[in-house]
Amino acid sequence: MRAETGSNSWSSRPFPSLRRPALRVLGMALGLLGLAACAAPPPTDPDALAEYKEANDKYEKLNRKGFDLTMWANKYTLRPVAKAYIWAVPRPLRNSFGSLYQTMNEPVVFFNDVGAGKPRRAGDAFVRWCINMTAGIGGLIDVANYAGYTHHDNDAGLTLATWGVPSGPYLFLPVLGPSSFRDGLGYGIDVGLSPWNYVPRGYGLLTFNWAYNIMGTINGMATNVDALDQVMKDSLDPYATIRSAYQQQRKAMAEAIKNDHRATVPDWYSNR
Amino acid sequence: MQTPFPRRHALALLATCAAALPAAPAWAVDALAQSRSFVSMFGNKLVNIVNSDLPLEKKKQDILPLLNQYVDVDAIARFCLGRYWRIATPEQQTRYLKLFHDVLVNAITDKIGDYRGVTFVVGTSAPSGDDTAVSTVINRPGQPGADTQWIISTASGSPKVVDVVGEGASLRLTQRQDYGSFIARNGGNVDALLRALDKQIANHH
Repeated sequence: MRAETGSNSWSSRPFPSLRRPALRVLGMALGLLGLAACAAPPPTDPDALAEYKEANDKYEKLNRKGFDLTMWANKYTLRPVAKAYIWAVPRPLRNSFGSLYQTMNEPVVFFNDVGAGKPRRAGDAFVRWCINMTAGIGGLIDVANYAGYTHHDNDAGLTLATWGVPSGPYLFLPVLGPSSFRDGLGYGIDVGLSPWNYVPRGYGLLTFNWAYNIMGTINGMATNVDALDQVMKDSLDPYATIRSAYQQQRKAMAEAIKNDHRATVPDWYSNR
Repeated sequence: MQTPFPRRHALALLATCAAALPAAPAWAVDALAQSRSFVSMFGNKLVNIVNSDLPLEKKKQDILPLLNQYVDVDAIARFCLGRYWRIATPEQQTRYLKLFHDVLVNAITDKIGDYRGVTFVVGTSAPSGDDTAVSTVINRPGQPGADTQWIISTASGSPKVVDVVGEGASLRLTQRQDYGSFIARNGGNVDALLRALDKQIANHH
């Protein structure tokens, strides 16, 4: 599953399974190439074809394997850990950790806002980073939120979407969660955009990076565990439910970014 | 003052423009305002029950008539069955509508406990196909506000909720993919869905 950086359950920075950026990107590229060999032929019945197109899931057979594996692993590893974490850590402290994780990811949001050509959003991300890294003690307190700079999500998958790059077929990547060709590529780009992967190794930074990623993952799971439990319980086909919700949300997020034409000056200035 | 464009021409032009404008905008503005006040009315009724000091069972009882009155459950049910609605026999359709109604009511009443202390703000409304989308922000204590859109249809004669869109995901569309995929994986058999819904209701407590 993915860790939580913002308001959206499936949008945020994915699970840090492979730690070395180069390896991660290489793994992703190989995975995408390997998929080309196992697409199922589309159905011929027009209604079934419409459904097939709506699902946008050429690689369903393989994706379902990834889903089953992920959910099985999740049940015995991350989920109990997240449950224990919720039990042991009070909510305000969990919110603080979430905020820390979010702040540390703010540079990636910033670069993507710039890439999407949205200066107002980029400015917000930049100011959030500056305020929260200083007054917010490295992000533990979301001071920027109180100052009127609310968090927004962005990632390279969404940036590519605003450039008009189509999502391509849906993918469920084992452990990483729901994705698509475009979002998978975006994930690789985001890894490259994160400054934490460029800090020199040693000096405790390696430890920090581990702690940061593990904490972010557990905290993200803790935020989403109830929603995920509910989907698994209430859906007749949880795989299809998650596939549908993910694709709709990604589309809505890309639209929201595209339609954000706010001025670059802050509200308090332009409203005078 | 001399003008190359005589006033009466201007008036005629204006009148033509006004006549050429379809009657829809005035009606649409009405529909938008009506949907907005409907959401605010319905929302307030729900929130009053959810936030009251009544016992949970009583709250569930009180919410039922509201759902029957203001939510077009049959329309949602038909949408969610998608292409299988036409394949289903009349008996299957009747059974499905009954089961869907129970499933939906259970899903909504199960949430009552989680929403204690909820408040909501009604935002703008905009056309969404034949229906109207009304934006709201739902605030729960200690949690970030959730952007939620209510899709209101007047097809039944009075405004009714036909869909809820949370963070960009439409509930009825997601549900349709869930049911559609389930039926397809069970050999296109609608009875398989009915059995699964039966089981869902039986397991509900």
